[in-house]
Amino acid sequence: MREMTFVDAAREGLAEEMARDPAIFVVGEGIGARGGNFNTTLGLFDLYGPERLRDTPISERGFTGICIGAAASGARPVVDFMFIDFLTDAFGDMFNQMSKLQWMSGGRLKMPIVVRGCVGVAPSNAAHHSGNYYPFFMHIPGFRVVMPSTPGDAKGLLKTSIRSDDPVLFLEHKNLLALKGPVPDGEHLVPFGKAAVAREGKDVTVVGVAFMVKKALEAAETLAKDGISVEVIDPRTLAPLDIDTILSSVRTTGRLLVVDEDFAPCGVASEIAMQVMERGFDDLDAPVKRLNGLSCPAPYSPALMTNLIPTTSTIVQALRDLLAE
Amino acid sequence: MAFEVVMPRLGWNMEQGAVVGWRKKDGDSVTAGEILFEVESDKAVQEVEALESGLLRIPPQSPPLGTQVPVGTLLAWLVKPGEDMPSSDAAALAVAPAAAGMAPAAKTSGSASSLPAAPSAGAHAAETPHPPTGKRIRISPRARRAASQLGVDWTLLSGSGSSGRILERDVQQAAAAGTGAPATAARAVRAHEAVTAAGTPSLDVLPISSVRRLTAERMSAGAHTTAPVTLTTEADATDLVRLRSQLKGEGARPAPSYNDLLTKLAADALVDHPELNARFEGDSIVQSASVNVAIAVDTERGLLAPVVRDVQSKSLRQVARETADLIERARGGRIRPEELRGGTFTITNLGMYEIDAFTPIINLPECAILGVGRIVAKQVVTDAEAGTVAIRHMVVLSLTFDHRLVDGAPAARFLQRIKRNIEMPYLWLAGS
Amino acid sequence: MTGKKGAAMGKDQMLALYRTMLLIRRTEEQLVKLYAAGKIYGGVHTYIGEEAVATGVCAHLGTSDTVFSTHRGHGHALSKGIPPRELIAELLGRATGCAAGRGGSMHLFKPEIGFMGSSGIVGPSITLAAGSAYAAKLRKTGQVSVAFFGDGATNNGAFHEGINMATAWGLPVLFVCENNMYATEIPYAAVTKNPHPATRASAYGLPGIAVDGNDVLAVYQAAGEAVRRARSGEGPTLLECRTYRTRAHSEGMRDAGYRTQEEIAEWKARDPIKAYEGKLLAGGTAAQSELDAIDAEVRARAEEAAAFALASPMPEPATVTEHVYSEMQEGRNA
Repeated sequence: MREMTFVDAAREGLAEEMARDPAIFVVGEGIGARGGNFNTTLGLFDLYGPERLRDTPISERGFTGICIGAAASGARPVVDFMFIDFLTDAFGDMFNQMSKLQWMSGGRLKMPIVVRGCVGVAPSNAAHHSGNYYPFFMHIPGFRVVMPSTPGDAKGLLKTSIRSDDPVLFLEHKNLLALKGPVPDGEHLVPFGKAAVAREGKDVTVVGVAFMVKKALEAAETLAKDGISVEVIDPRTLAPLDIDTILSSVRTTGRLLVVDEDFAPCGVASEIAMQVMERGFDDLDAPVKRLNGLSCPAPYSPALMTNLIPTTSTIVQALRDLLAE
Repeated sequence: MAFEVVMPRLGWNMEQGAVVGWRKKDGDSVTAGEILFEVESDKAVQEVEALESGLLRIPPQSPPLGTQVPVGTLLAWLVKPGEDMPSSDAAALAVAPAAAGMAPAAKTSGSASSLPAAPSAGAHAAETPHPPTGKRIRISPRARRAASQLGVDWTLLSGSGSSGRILERDVQQAAAAGTGAPATAARAVRAHEAVTAAGTPSLDVLPISSVRRLTAERMSAGAHTTAPVTLTTEADATDLVRLRSQLKGEGARPAPSYNDLLTKLAADALVDHPELNARFEGDSIVQSASVNVAIAVDTERGLLAPVVRDVQSKSLRQVARETADLIERARGGRIRPEELRGGTFTITNLGMYEIDAFTPIINLPECAILGVGRIVAKQVVTDAEAGTVAIRHMVVLSLTFDHRLVDGAPAARFLQRIKRNIEMPYLWLAGS
Repeated sequence: MTGKKGAAMGKDQMLALYRTMLLIRRTEEQLVKLYAAGKIYGGVHTYIGEEAVATGVCAHLGTSDTVFSTHRGHGHALSKGIPPRELIAELLGRATGCAAGRGGSMHLFKPEIGFMGSSGIVGPSITLAAGSAYAAKLRKTGQVSVAFFGDGATNNGAFHEGINMATAWGLPVLFVCENNMYATEIPYAAVTKNPHPATRASAYGLPGIAVDGNDVLAVYQAAGEAVRRARSGEGPTLLECRTYRTRAHSEGMRDAGYRTQEEIAEWKARDPIKAYEGKLLAGGTAAQSELDAIDAEVRARAEEAAAFALASPMPEPATVTEHVYSEMQEGRNA
């Protein structure tokens, strides 16, 4: 077991996979010699050269489209998009080609592509560098959506993502990149569709998305001082979603809060709440509650950011409110 | 808003008065200051002026002329044009047949925990969770499930949830308090101590259990909503007694009890007298195709009446098995709420207490109840002409029926049939 | 067989080109009939009049070379080797169609022989083909990729981004622009100040060749050179083939208002099959009877294909959600 940052752990996973399979190559702006804006490919260019660490022009639609074609033709590309806000230019081809080619060809074409990069609200990043957008990909059939919240999971899930024959959105919250945590030695793979119980508890369940897992754990620690036992669940992959672990928790606690910094409408929380209602209605002692970011683009001034996304204290309050429900 | 016109206090000592005349008619326009009606108190007749303007509406339940009523009694309304008279007294609704059998969520002052809840006592538990005022009781799905599992009647609880919702913990507390009733005892002790401490002579002040409360309400409803008439007759139960001891001696267990025999023979009679196997549902009278007989059982917690369903299609032995199980579980506090509901006829037997005749109260929303007295060996005349007598086992039957639903003659014919069935068991033993 | 103009081709090769063009023509005629009879569910954009382009390009491709096609892709599909039976059955929505009824006219697939899909979206054929070429280069398979697209696609971002990157990275891909002068019904010249796609190539640094798209030999020669370049690592080529569709944009659409009858007649007179026929006869490569025999054979094949398709079963409804995910990760998503 080693202590590593989230980004270093992910990169270690990528390096291992690239060593294992020569069909894997990475495409993106600045991911070649420079090693990536977030150090996602640091050191790999020297090992594998420009064909496998391909610097691109500012052509997100184009290079994503090229990677779709490459994935359909026997290669295993990794699109490193940096900020998901840039990737939006490629959404058309992702929805119409990437997610559909397997199905359209009756499974004869595979789509072993990983689309990875940063998401999330960070201080003063403002409207074009704070995007989340993952509900789009949860919604459309064909995509896998992976959002680790710990370094160990970052490595294990990136490796699984690269080995998958399905198109995977591997989304890294920018506030987690420098987070340090334990990473197992040796081969370490984390499967899709298996949530982690980040903290056990029996009074109330919290499901956090990515960076919100960390906030929820802090809130749980605060409430523990008042004798309130909070169970924190990290879904790790949003598609496939491990609803069974959530249901099992609700069976014990009877109360569920979903915390997601992304906008509320049609978001992760609404999907989880619906599934819990469908299969765990009789376990509920109170309505499912959600805590989301405000429904507006991310602002610049710190004053405007005050209430923008859930914080540890707003999560604590939401849990108190839920327990009083 | 409508203005209440009430019996005024016209003198320092006046406590009641009677309206002896209205100066305005229902629907008339009234101006404040005009003379509205005349009141006779123990002194003289006085004129009373209207204190507001409006349209006079005299409701149907306004005291008839000349009736003495307490000061403050509602006499009429003064409403704005187009405004409706406020609806009739909510209290009346509480004993309406449709709402009978329901108890409002128990109100406690302040504390979140509720009265110890027990399986529905007396007659039927609530069919739907709507208390008389029509307010909805909120309960979480989880709490509802817990209530079902723990045998708690959640309609009697108040909820500690933010919207007044009944939560799992409310049900759990109620169940914990209910079994063994420690909370009741504890409260009784505390109340006792409180009264003693206040310096008054110590009395045993027992809080009302939910069973008692429910029984109180049901009985009140049964006595006052219906038009109860009790018919009595004496039946020769000699052959029934013989039948019973034969069955007992024959060895199969459980041996059918007298109540089992009565249940079967009553069901047989009800099949041919369906108007007695009926109930009010809203505005209609519904005759039931099944005969579901409720049997009054005295338990530690109070009076319960578990129901045997479809007696008409079950054998005597089957009925015996079922009643044995129901009674055992009722006494053990393990009866389920649905087993206390849905009866169409009740049998109550006080014979073991040496009672002959009595006036049982109808178990709403049923139509009739059969009270059974003790079986006594008596000397009876077998042939008046010949002057012969014999020792026979006689039993008094008291049938209370609801005259709103059934008239005397059909009820009497039904009782006659019951008498016949007792006297000639072979009539119903053979089945149809 | 290389790109030199007038270099000798064998008779078999030359008749093969003829046969392929006829196969496209006769199969499309079957589809026109079936469409008119109401037996086709979605849109049908026939290749009639443009046969020389697909024929001339695909003649240089092997099974493992990949082709990415458009909404007007029947010609590409048949030239690449999709049997007429599977094409017609697909348009009739049958289980025996090349996409098992999932795609219809605009979403044809047969990856086993390198036909990587036609698309109802204009543009992605360019980037996808570049991507396929990237994979070939990375894995050193020696394959080449071909993107077919129309004049309309030259104004789409995919054209700019895809061709730019393919050229910058020297990918083994051929970009074939079928310039039939109309994007649906919009004249090319009305939406761009430079209606000469081949000249755009210089902006990206790759060769741009324009040929008469109704001259199958010209297409054949130019394509041959482009494929050679790609396979030898010299990078991509932009090949503009000037051609014309003599029918409406899609079957059932009005074909009036945006072009004149004279124009249509003019291009009909330049029918690629007739023109080639003339060349074969004039050059003594084949006799009329041989050509008639080929046509008769092809007609029979097209008719049989239609009959086969009409008799084919529909796909099982329950199969519709299969293959959303790969077998490896099958499982509920939500």
